[in-house]
Amino acid sequence: MDIGMIALYFVLVLVFVLLNVLILVWMERRVAGFFQERLGPNRVGPFGLLQTVNDTVKLLGKESIIPQAADRAVFKIAPIAIFTTAIALYAVVPFGKNLTVVNPNIGLFYFISLSSTTTISILMAGWGSNNKYSLLGGMRTVAQIISYEIPMVLSLLGVVMMVGSLNLSEIVNAQKGLWYILLQPVAFVIFIIAATAELNRAPFDMPEAEQELVGGYHTEYTGMRFALFFLSEYANLFSLSALAATLFLGGWQGPLLPGWAWFIIKVYFMIFLFMWIRWTYPRARLDHMMKLNWKLLIPVALVNILLTGVGIKLFQMMGR
Amino acid sequence: MFGQGLVKGLSITIKRFFQKKITEKYPEVKPKLPARSHGSFDFCAEKCIACNLCADACPNSVIKVDYFKNEQGKRVLENYRMNICYCLFCGLCIEACPTKALNSKPDFELAGFSKDDVVASWEGIARRNEGETAEDAVNKTGSGQQEV
Repeated sequence: MDIGMIALYFVLVLVFVLLNVLILVWMERRVAGFFQERLGPNRVGPFGLLQTVNDTVKLLGKESIIPQAADRAVFKIAPIAIFTTAIALYAVVPFGKNLTVVNPNIGLFYFISLSSTTTISILMAGWGSNNKYSLLGGMRTVAQIISYEIPMVLSLLGVVMMVGSLNLSEIVNAQKGLWYILLQPVAFVIFIIAATAELNRAPFDMPEAEQELVGGYHTEYTGMRFALFFLSEYANLFSLSALAATLFLGGWQGPLLPGWAWFIIKVYFMIFLFMWIRWTYPRARLDHMMKLNWKLLIPVALVNILLTGVGIKLFQMMGR
Repeated sequence: MFGQGLVKGLSITIKRFFQKKITEKYPEVKPKLPARSHGSFDFCAEKCIACNLCADACPNSVIKVDYFKNEQGKRVLENYRMNICYCLFCGLCIEACPTKALNSKPDFELAGFSKDDVVASWEGIARRNEGETAEDAVNKTGSGQQEV
């Protein structure tokens, strides 16, 4: 792949991400309103669609303040690092048939390993701000994301075992007849819970719990730097929903409509599910969250892998 | 069963999602207020006997009743002023009115650009002109019924 194509792909992904984030932020506020019997933003543009554009322009125009006591270099790098990882995740997402930037054999592995580096960026932001709330938020993130990484990967392992490949396009192709949500419902539920925690969304939003930590790791960030955190948060929401759609909902497979349309529909369904969860449940306590992870999700995920393995073996024996 | 409460919570919120929203789209859609709501005031100059009971009842001294006496010694309304920017819409003036000349109406959009904009004033049916005697005023009231 030459430099020109790489640049083109990068720009396309960037435009796609930014457009989606604009819609997602609007959708989040609108959906939140609807769940609370309100209407949400409806003043700027048709259905309030231009509200996010308005807010973004406002954020761009704001002064970016660096606190005097902050570790300047770390403080400045953190938002760039977190946004870079968020963008880089889109490289392997299969948007449609043959519609993926790169298609490595270890696509799923790449996705999971890269998404967990978000932890480092968040810890950098928390540490670099030199603010006790930011640091607390950052440390909570590390504890949370690292622990929830385990059940998430274990839940995906069942699907990988059934396909026999880490290539995301092959995983989609394998779901031609039957979506894996039907074969792996337990894994799907575990994935949803773990992804909610990975995304720092309620009910697992301790890292940025407004009522306890002011704003968590991005307390000290203003202007465009804050906007980058916000952007990457919603970019990650989209990419994890895309992963769920790819692994459990059959990716771009579907009748009548073109592949990319099915993919977008499924991803937005997943996003709606995440929003639904966020605006339903209150925040969990930190130790409860950890208990749920280590004492429930991981054992259940391990049993799920065991049963999947047994099931695959039985299927093979019956087929013979 | 474990997790039943979680499902119940989700079902409750999704019901709310499709329910009718309680937000009022105010400037586009005007709210329907009950007929007797204390919005602003409706004054009927013909019914007013200028007894000043409303002005006495008002806790904020919002109402000013200008009147004069005709030859029978009866009060005749000349001008009725309400400085609505001080009004607390308690409705005591409406309760005090013996002839039901003062009423409330649901129109609540009373904002104005200056203090003078929010003064409501109604002129009485009779007018005491400069140099006009009380007798002339009464004659005019009896015959003309000048509507202002």
